[in-house]
Amino acid sequence: MASLQTRNRRIAISLVTLVVGMLGLAYASVPLYELFCRVTGYGGTPKIKIAGAPVKKSNGTIEVRFDANTNKALQWHFKPVQVKQTVKLGEPSLAFYRVKNTSANLLTGTAIFNVTPFKAASYFSKIDCFCFVEQTLKPGQEIDMPVEFFVDPEIFSDPKTQEISAITLSYTFYPVERDEDNVDRTLSRKSGSNDEIDS
Amino acid sequence: MANSVEAHHGEHEHHYPGFFTRWFCSTNHKDIGTLYLWVAMIAAIIGGVMSWYIRAELAEPGLQLISNDPEGRQFYNVLVTGHGFIMVFFVVMPAMIGGFGNWFVPLMIGAPDMAFPRMNNISFWLLAAGFILLLIAAFIDGGPGTGWTVYPPLSSADFHPGRAVDFGILSLHVAGASSILGAINFIVTIFNMRAPGMTIHRMPLFVWAMLITAFLLLLALPVLAGGLTMLLTDRNFGTSFFDPGQGGDPVLWQHLFWFFGHPEVYIIILPAFGIISQIVSTFSKKPVFGYLGMAYAMAAIGVVGFVVWAHHMYTVGFDVNTRAYFTAATMVIAVPTGVKIFSWLATMWGGSIRMEVPMMYAVAFIFLFVVGGVTGITLANSSADLVFHDTYYVVAHFHYVMGIAAILGMFAGWYYWIGKMSGRQYPETLSRLQFWLFFIGVNVLFFPQHFSGFAGMPRRIPDYPDAYAPYNYISSIGALITAVGTLLFFVVLWRTYAAGTRVGANPWGEGATTLEWSVDSPAPWHTHEDLPDMAGKAPAE
Repeated sequence: MASLQTRNRRIAISLVTLVVGMLGLAYASVPLYELFCRVTGYGGTPKIKIAGAPVKKSNGTIEVRFDANTNKALQWHFKPVQVKQTVKLGEPSLAFYRVKNTSANLLTGTAIFNVTPFKAASYFSKIDCFCFVEQTLKPGQEIDMPVEFFVDPEIFSDPKTQEISAITLSYTFYPVERDEDNVDRTLSRKSGSNDEIDS
Repeated sequence: MANSVEAHHGEHEHHYPGFFTRWFCSTNHKDIGTLYLWVAMIAAIIGGVMSWYIRAELAEPGLQLISNDPEGRQFYNVLVTGHGFIMVFFVVMPAMIGGFGNWFVPLMIGAPDMAFPRMNNISFWLLAAGFILLLIAAFIDGGPGTGWTVYPPLSSADFHPGRAVDFGILSLHVAGASSILGAINFIVTIFNMRAPGMTIHRMPLFVWAMLITAFLLLLALPVLAGGLTMLLTDRNFGTSFFDPGQGGDPVLWQHLFWFFGHPEVYIIILPAFGIISQIVSTFSKKPVFGYLGMAYAMAAIGVVGFVVWAHHMYTVGFDVNTRAYFTAATMVIAVPTGVKIFSWLATMWGGSIRMEVPMMYAVAFIFLFVVGGVTGITLANSSADLVFHDTYYVVAHFHYVMGIAAILGMFAGWYYWIGKMSGRQYPETLSRLQFWLFFIGVNVLFFPQHFSGFAGMPRRIPDYPDAYAPYNYISSIGALITAVGTLLFFVVLWRTYAAGTRVGANPWGEGATTLEWSVDSPAPWHTHEDLPDMAGKAPAE
């Protein structure tokens, strides 16, 4: 039998491997978590479908509501053009958001999004969206931005989601540049909340 | 190994190193254990003073002690944060694992020392460094006011722009490294250095508890370290793990933190389970009831503890199936903990019970743990928890089940083993008084918080509506009684070292069967140089 010292070292090395493995797992959880949210629609993550994807049509309709928020550090005015739409299930629909740069600077923002109730997310698919890319606005510029989406008719076949009558699609615009002239940290530190509800 | 031990014997039979070498370069498991216990006691005073300041502020509605401005409220947040960090990382963990673990694991398994004595020294000094970093954090840039959970975005650069949170993160990293090294040391020691005949299934339950705790540390702490590193790079190097504006998710932090945080509460309470098992068995003069069940109940608690973390974050918006799973999994933990409670009761049942001070603390521990466990079952229900979340009901629950229970376990261990550690017994009357003051104090302190929490009083807020005033007043009186009880403990400590009666190898007599009672009191510089033969002995004897 190996000496006590050798046996001690052997166990210690395998335990260190365990520690390194757990550390690796902590980092691996970042992409895994993202993948998990995308696949399961967790936390209201909608599905993203490329245009032309075959969809079952149906005669049922559902109400879709639109919500817009802006991070305080981004001086934009961001609102949905229409508060709600009644859409046919399985049929691509188009909605618009209006955004205006109220500052005197060229600003770039990016929008994050989710749908509520969260459990509706796996039946809510985006075909194209202004949120897929960053948006840059000149001082004072105002634009209308489109989002194209459809709701899967399967939503009414799933016992967990068949009682849903309305889905809310929500966006929050964040600034992209993190340098000090665009991100007013003192402002967001003093305010209690990070997001300004605009609607 | 055997040769060097023999050589050692002849050369330095009564040789003690000088003060600096003995206490600063120590590699002796007993001295390192003593150092850990001292650090824990110093940290307990600091963490305790913070909590008494909090209770003094909360004694009446309105702001009395802290100033009514953002700086004052930040100071209150820093107190709450500091109290949590200090009590968890620098009081309970050093005392239980570093202190009693280092002292008694080698003694109980018949090993001459820990497997890696020098690494043991590094563990201790990393912990001391971590503690200093945390104290520095409290004094710069307004201090970390994040709560011990360090949730972003509150802990992000937007809301804590100074260096305080960075120092806090560094402190936890260093303390975490200390614990990981310590845990490796314990596992290797327990696996490889048991005396002949001391099989895994004959180890005392305290050693079992330390083994399982060490594994929990190894599996949980790296995840915290990973999360903390992400937070650090988010704050300073432009990554965006937890920043939703850049595609991150703050809820990911909650998952990572609680994947560590839930096992952490078992890391805190399992060593107390071990201590209580030894004490209940000793003072009932019976081997512990259902030894194997007790050992594997702890293992089961450890395993299940890794798959229940989301019960700390029911309010983030899980779907109903996820909540159902975490509710059910959480309640499953009541089964192995129930096995432990009933086995302790069964050990006492029909035993020849002597109510010495350690036993009083052990029984008090069981009482507090059951009260905290019952409210834990309540909180495990996700639908009820949506209402209880962040109220004083939760504060009362976790102080009962892991905070005060762990402190009672530590007191129990101290009174049980002080004869072995110092060679002197505690003063009987004073110690009994200390027990009753502390026990009554903590119950008066935390029991009313169930009611104020049930009525909706929020955590971590320095002010509250007048409706909550009576419960808070009672609670603060309890804090005062607890403070007197704590102070009296230090008097007991002083009287023990100054005038305690000297004790022999085994002051507890017949019931104390574990190996630490076979060596002299105080335990000599070197113990178990000739390995004891445990072949054919009954479990845990």
